[in-house]
Amino acid sequence: MFALKHWARRAALGLFLTATAMLGGCASAYLDGATKEIPAAQYKKPASPAPVQVLFDFQTKGVANAQATALLRDRVLAQVKASGLFSDAGTSAVPNGAVLSITINNVPMSDDAFSKGFVTGLTFGLAGSQVSDGYICSATYRSSNDAAPLTKQARHAIHTTMGAAATPGNAIKMQDHKEAAFQMTSAVVSNLLNDLSQDANFK
Amino acid sequence: MNKSPAMISNRVSARAVVQRLTLAAVLAVLTGCASVKMPAAAPSAANAEKLRATKLLPAQLGTFKLAAGKPADMDTTLGGLRGSSVSPANGSFAVQLRDEIAAELTAAGLLDAKSRIVIEGQLTDSMVDAGMSTGKGRLAAKIQIKRDGQALFDKEVVAEATWESSFVGAIALPAAINQYGALYKTLVGKLFDDADFKRALTAQ
Repeated sequence: MFALKHWARRAALGLFLTATAMLGGCASAYLDGATKEIPAAQYKKPASPAPVQVLFDFQTKGVANAQATALLRDRVLAQVKASGLFSDAGTSAVPNGAVLSITINNVPMSDDAFSKGFVTGLTFGLAGSQVSDGYICSATYRSSNDAAPLTKQARHAIHTTMGAAATPGNAIKMQDHKEAAFQMTSAVVSNLLNDLSQDANFK
Repeated sequence: MNKSPAMISNRVSARAVVQRLTLAAVLAVLTGCASVKMPAAAPSAANAEKLRATKLLPAQLGTFKLAAGKPADMDTTLGGLRGSSVSPANGSFAVQLRDEIAAELTAAGLLDAKSRIVIEGQLTDSMVDAGMSTGKGRLAAKIQIKRDGQALFDKEVVAEATWESSFVGAIALPAAINQYGALYKTLVGKLFDDADFKRALTAQ
């Protein structure tokens, strides 16, 4: 009986250590503070807004990420619609041929997130660690099929801390990673739309 | 006190059970089994740009199915994901490919159910391998384009990818699932890039 309890205790401890190592302690998400959301009121509105077709892609290291695209597409579309820069925005082709293509590419700023989390887990969170994800957001706008494209780019970052890591500087703590992704997307897209609206060739 | 064979046997058996349960739990943590349904097809900016670059005639889509001689489960299930699974949005990977092409053509205003040009497809390969160090994926389909029943295009289009994988399932599986999903965009993009495809959709 004693031996059985001993085995059970060892098994439980092994499982706990493994799970702790894998989970890397509690992970907290922080939105980088360098890129701020720009309210639509600040955009330079065109005299005669035209309809636009919006195409959105989310990529992970340059590879299309269908799950993340599906999660964020409707939000991006709603943001473009509410921008006041276009008379309407949708996913279908429009008569004037105007297209706004927005791509967010997630590029890890440190590619060893697992090993960092593993160390944090093994030390029960005492050795904290931080990993950062960069997001490069690009927009290409064509006012018609034959028009020259206008291209804009903005960047953002989400920081993740595990264990007893210091809070990242100039960053805002998010409720969770989903909320961080939503706010990151909203902020970079607002910067793109603002840059587009200020372009003298945007009509 | 002497231990009876039954006591020893029970203890060994209990120990084995505990060991197996522990192993299963550890493996579950290491692999993180998941069942993922592919999202509904949607147009991509890159493929839309390819269609815009060429003046093409609208087309309609015909039947997309598994190629003859291929195992039936190739169209519905995906191995190589360490016990996790990916299922197509509408129950068939061939139909998933059809929907991807439809989404791109619709976004470009090139899908017309009354068009004399019909695009059909047969899925010839669909695989992913979330390997311990390198991941691999492959998607292939034989695409045919006909106008009034006459063949204008008949070619197998193949999309392949390799990527750095991991022994840790929590890292390897999302990467493999994502890479497999991206193969659909890649294959459709290769189709749109094909000079013979463009010729077929511009021929009067």
